[in-house]
Parts: sequence; C-alpha cells; structure tokens
Amino acid sequence: MERLIIVVAVLPLISALLIQLFAGRIGRSIARLSVVFTTLSFLLSCVLLALALMGSEIQTFPLGGSVAALLFDPLSILLATIILGISLIVHLYSVRYMAEEAAYGQFFVLLDLMTAALLFMVLAGDLITLVISWYLVGVILYFLLGQDTRSQTAYRFAFWTLITYRIGDLPLILAAALLYNAYETWSLTVIFDEIMANPDAHQVLGLPLTQVVAGLIGFSAFARSAQFLLHTWLPYTMDGPTPVSALMHAGIVNAGGFLINRFAPVFIHSGDVLNWIFIVGLVTAIFGSLLMLTQNDIKKALGYSTMGQMGFMIMECGVGAFSLAIYHMFAHGVFKGTMFLSAGGVINHARQDDGIPKDELYTFAVEKRPNKASQPWLLMAAVTLAVPLVILVFAHLLIAQDYFHKQGAIVLLFFGWVTGAQLIFATYRMRAQNIWRLVGLSILSLLVVVLGYVFISHAFDLFLYPDPEFRAQLYSAATIDLLRFDVLVGVVTLTVVAGWVITYFGERRGYYPRQKSKRLWLNFYALISREFYVSDIYTRLTRIILSISGRLNVWLRWL
Amino acid sequence: MPDFLTILLASIFLPLFPMSMIFNIILDKIKQCWLRVLLIIFWPLIGLLIVLNSNLDIPDWVLTVALSTSFLYSLRMLTLREVNQWSGFLATSFWGLLWLPITQGVSADLLYWFAISISTPLVLLVLLSADLEKRFGAAYTGLYGGLARTIPRYAGVLVIVVIAAIATPLFPTFFIMLDMVVETVSNKPVAALTLLFIWLLWSWAGARLIQGLIVGRASKNKIADMNLNSISFYSIVLIVLIGSGVYLGGVIL
Repeated sequence: MERLIIVVAVLPLISALLIQLFAGRIGRSIARLSVVFTTLSFLLSCVLLALALMGSEIQTFPLGGSVAALLFDPLSILLATIILGISLIVHLYSVRYMAEEAAYGQFFVLLDLMTAALLFMVLAGDLITLVISWYLVGVILYFLLGQDTRSQTAYRFAFWTLITYRIGDLPLILAAALLYNAYETWSLTVIFDEIMANPDAHQVLGLPLTQVVAGLIGFSAFARSAQFLLHTWLPYTMDGPTPVSALMHAGIVNAGGFLINRFAPVFIHSGDVLNWIFIVGLVTAIFGSLLMLTQNDIKKALGYSTMGQMGFMIMECGVGAFSLAIYHMFAHGVFKGTMFLSAGGVINHARQDDGIPKDELYTFAVEKRPNKASQPWLLMAAVTLAVPLVILVFAHLLIAQDYFHKQGAIVLLFFGWVTGAQLIFATYRMRAQNIWRLVGLSILSLLVVVLGYVFISHAFDLFLYPDPEFRAQLYSAATIDLLRFDVLVGVVTLTVVAGWVITYFGERRGYYPRQKSKRLWLNFYALISREFYVSDIYTRLTRIILSISGRLNVWLRWL
Repeated sequence: MPDFLTILLASIFLPLFPMSMIFNIILDKIKQCWLRVLLIIFWPLIGLLIVLNSNLDIPDWVLTVALSTSFLYSLRMLTLREVNQWSGFLATSFWGLLWLPITQGVSADLLYWFAISISTPLVLLVLLSADLEKRFGAAYTGLYGGLARTIPRYAGVLVIVVIAAIATPLFPTFFIMLDMVVETVSNKPVAALTLLFIWLLWSWAGARLIQGLIVGRASKNKIADMNLNSISFYSIVLIVLIGSGVYLGGVIL
C-alpha cells in the first residue's frame, strides 16, 4: 500500500505531460484535467498519511532500479499532503483566475511540474533525487514568476529568485558530494543510520563531517527560506500571478525548514551550527518584521511578513524545536495562502466601497497611530510576565517533566507570549470600556493560542520524531550553556521592557520626538526605507561583475 | 611528440586559454550553419582523440589552466548578446572542463559520451540561432525581444535548449557537472568550488540570454512560428537527451 507514494509523486507529472500534448485540442477545459489529477494525488496522500498515523513503518521505494528512491516516513508524507492540499487550492483558484491569460495551458503545465518537483523533494529517499528536485524547484519557479512574458519587471525579479536559489543549490550539492564520498551511498536512510552509529567517523579539512554538512545544509536552507542577506528576492517577486505568490509564500519558501528537518540526524551532532541557525533566524525575524512595518506597499509588506515568519521557523530549528518548525510551516502556509488568494476579492470589494469605519481601530491598524488614551501599562506588563510562568508550569505538569530543560521552547514561548500580549493589548484596548474584562480576554485568548501551540507541537513531535531519545538529543544539541542562556533571556527582557518604556513616554508626549532625537529617528527611518541598502549593494555588485565581463570581452576582442 | 607539444595541440580542441580563442575565431568566421554544427560536434572529439592516443602524463597546472579558462569564458558569457558567440563561449567553457575527467582516468567511451552530451544542446542552439537569423536578420538578445508572444513555439523550444545547455537536471550536462564535483570535492575542494561557481555563472548567463530574447511585447509584424516538423525534431532530440541524461546519471553516479 505504501508503494502508492510513487503514484502520488508521478500523477502531477502525467498531468503536465497530458496538458502539454492535448492543450491545443481540448482548449481551456484542460485545466480541469490538472485539477482532477491533483485531487487524485491529494486523496492518495491522505490515505498514506492515515497509514503513517497508524504507525506504518518507514520504507524506501527505488525508482526503476536506479539510485533514485522515494522515502515513506512521517515527515515526507505529512509534507506531501500539505503540498498537495495547497496545490489543489491553488489549482482550483487558478481555473478562473488565469482564464484570460494567453499561456493558460502552459501555466498549468508549470504548476503541475512545480507540484511534482516539490513532491519529489519532500519524498526523496536519496541525495540525487533531493538535489535534482531542489534545483528544479528554482528553475520552474523562475518561469512561473515570469508567466507574463511581456513584463520586464516580472522577469527581473524572477531572475533574483533564480540566482538566489542557484546560490542555495551549491552548498546542497557540496554536502551531497561530501556525504557520498564518505559513505559511498546516495541513500539518505543508510547515511543517517551510519551517522547515528558513528557520528565522528569522517573529517573534512580537519572538521567533523557532520558539522561541515550541517553548515552547508543550513546555508542552502537560508537561501530557500529568504534569510537575511539572501532575502531580497522575496518581497520583490510580486509581479508574478497571485496563485504563484500563494504557492510560493505558502509552500515553496518553507523548503528550508523541511531541509533542516530532513537532515535532523546530522544536526543532532552539530550543536554549534544549530546555534548559528538560531542567530540567523533571529536576525531575519527582527529585520523582516521591522521592514514589514515600514512598507507602504501592501504586497511588499506581505513579502517581508513572510520573511519574518521564515526567520521564526529557522529560529525554531535552531533551538531544537524541529517539529515545531514543521507546524509553523503548515500554519503559516495556510494563513499566508489564504491572504494571497483572497487579495483579489478584497481589492475588488475595496474598489467599490472601502467599508472601513474611520474609528480608533482604523487609525491604529491602517494609519499606525495608536490611541492616546492612558491605559494601565503596569498591570499589562505584570500580566505579560506572569502568564508565561503559569503556562510553563502547566506544560511541565501536563506534557513533559523535562520541559524546563528545553531552553529553546521556553525562549520561543516567551517571545510568542510577549509579542502576542502586546498586540492584543494594543488592538483591543481601544474599544474596551472595562479594563478587567480586557485583561481577562487577553489572558484567555493567549492561553488558548499558546497552550494550543504547545499541545500541537507536542503532537507533531510524537508523530515526526517518535523516538524519545532522538527528540531529547535534538533539544540537547541546541542547548547553550546556562550563562549564555541567562544573558540571552536578560537581553530579550531588557529589550522588551525598553520598548515598553519608550512607547509609554512616547505616548505621553503624543509621539512628537524631541528635536535632538528627531534627526536620529529620521536617519534610522532612511536606513529602513532603503531596506538596509542590501538590494542596492547587490545591484552595485552585479554592475561591477557585468562591467568586468564586458571589459574582458573588449580586451580579448570578443574571442 | 613531447608531452608539452601534445598538450599544446590538445588545448586547441579541449580549450585552454589562450589557445581557446582559435575555436572562437573559426566559429565567428564560419557563416554556414551546417559547418558550425560539424565544428561543434567534432571539435572536442578531436581533442579527446589526441589526448587518449598519446599516453600523456597530464601535469597539475593543466587542471588549473582548464578551470581558469572555463571560469573566464563563463564570466565573459554574461555580457554576450549574439547567440552563436554565446554558444561558442559555453562550448569553450564546458569542453575545457573535460580535462578533469581525463586526469581522473574516466574511460574513453564515457569521455566521448560526455563530449557528445555537451555538444548536442549547443548544436540545437546553433540551429535555433540560424532560424532566428533567417527570421530577423540577426540572432541578438535585446534587439527585438518578445519571442514568447511573437513566436511562442520557437520560444518554448529555445528555453528548453538553453536550460539543457547550462547543465540543468535531467539533461546529461547536469550529471556530468555533478560527477565532476563529486570526484573533486574531497581531493581538490578548491576545484570543486570553482566548478560550482562556473555552473552558477552559466545559469546567470542563460537567464540573461532567455530574458533578452523571449521577454517583451509581441512584434507588430507577422512572423512565422516554428512548424510542426521542426518541433517534432527538437522534441525528439530533447527527449533522447533527457533519457540519456538519466541513463548517464545511473552509470556515473
């Protein structure tokens, strides 16, 4: 029965082939064929997911006697089902949305090829299949983003995506080559078994192989998941069709989290790399969120929002909460996919009537001008700090005795709580007449969110990594020494408290900065509005390379 | 013949800079399409014949020069606009890398297979370039653009041929590059990194070529698209290439 996994992966390929062959004869109804094949594939993946949930064994299925193979395990089948679910929604949406496009059939061919490439990527049981599908995702995305072949802008930014993805392909290829040289097999399961049995068996340039491979895999994941300095493609690729944006933000960009999860047996022997991954994720989350807040173009704001979320996802991997990253990937995928797919409807509705009451909520959310009415800051601050403790005690009692030892989960919950509490407080306080009711509601809603998150992540933990020892090793690999942990938590707390204090005094002054600090704020705003000059630096670098290329050609007489 | 002279002679056909310029001069001078095709097919085979029949002991500096030549031409490809010239530079960049499997003792049969696999997409590109010259008078990027709207079937074939030439999966060129990286990564990590950068530059150059030709508004003049016979020909060759790529991958990896 598990062998059906091959059918799941191949069905979109057959669909693409049929559309290519018969699009001319059947016309626009060819899209329905694509929908039927995707639905079939999705239903099959659901059956296989049910089998996996019932405890079906991990199996590898070779493809035609070659080195290529597909892997049936909880991670692969769960992600295949998510990909097919999102792909099916995008297919259904595109049937009408893309109806007026000239290359209608070609769009569905590319969409099916993308679905197939993503499926082969998550189902890959060997390094060759993984590298090929990883590479092809970038190539197909380039053409999907450039669906409108009249638009130079669409292709310009599609190229940014392609080149970033190609930069990300290189470390994965290097990692695959190193692993093959060390273990003389392409099979992921065999390699992982050998690494688990003897992690320090091989060295590269004097370093443990596992650390080098983990570093390369991490770098590859950064490029795919738009981590800081490799992020510029994400906010700018909005010229592609909306269904492609939905697929990209809901699925493709999550590939980094998948890759790190796939190589979990390597990462548990690479604690230092996990710490670096945490830092990169943290920086990305902060910069992504900061840039999101300062955008006046809503599409770019969405792009930066995805960047921030990807930062969180990578951060989760960095603290050893691997399965939490998969849950985050799923939750963010559904959320962001819905946003993109409903964008057209919202714009259409807004063109007729914006329908937004110009009340306090509007001024806060749209004009970003918080209400000036005084509120019990101290009470809310106390609640914000007290509730995480209560939740941790609950988690400790209900879920796992060693929860306090999972530093990563604690840091993430703390982050989640603080940001969530502030948002709810800032949003709801404007309409609240009764402050105690407001505080009660805030606590209740956040308890539901955070406890739900904890329980769901625990369920994902049990499903994806059923071996408790392996789970413990993952958290232990990401652990930092107590002093650094305390310093980190201290810095985070001070930052949050400083934020509160600045906001409090700022609000009391009515948000008019003093003359002295005005220039500083303006400079800071200029820096952010230029997006930290990252794209400018890359553009400059590109021009330099092209100029060198041109000069070489002139000197060498174009020969 | 002394080793140095053999290497010098072979470096014309398995291009090492500055001897690599000879091939590009000849390609530039030849105006007949069929002659260009023959040149691209047989040029690296002659090089392999010379090297394989001479019991050469290839010194390390040859590899360094080969990688540098390949890098140089891949970098120069970025600013090329003429399609034939682009094909010639990619050929120079790719054929030069054949020195790597030669030094690694890859069998003669496999080396010939490598050379033909590299040349085939370039031959298709030269044929497509001739088609373009026939239709527009020149095969230049950025000159007319909009081929995807003007002649969509031609544009589709062109895109696939370019991605076959720049070593994209599942074409044989991809597996050849992957094999070279696998063979060098442990013993010569710098060579492996250089290979990866060359590969990256090909992708960049390929994307620039594609964008310069297919993107833009449709031409106002009516231009005949590729006929079904030509499409069948290109499709069959590309399918055979993919099949041979998968097979080659199974053999070498």
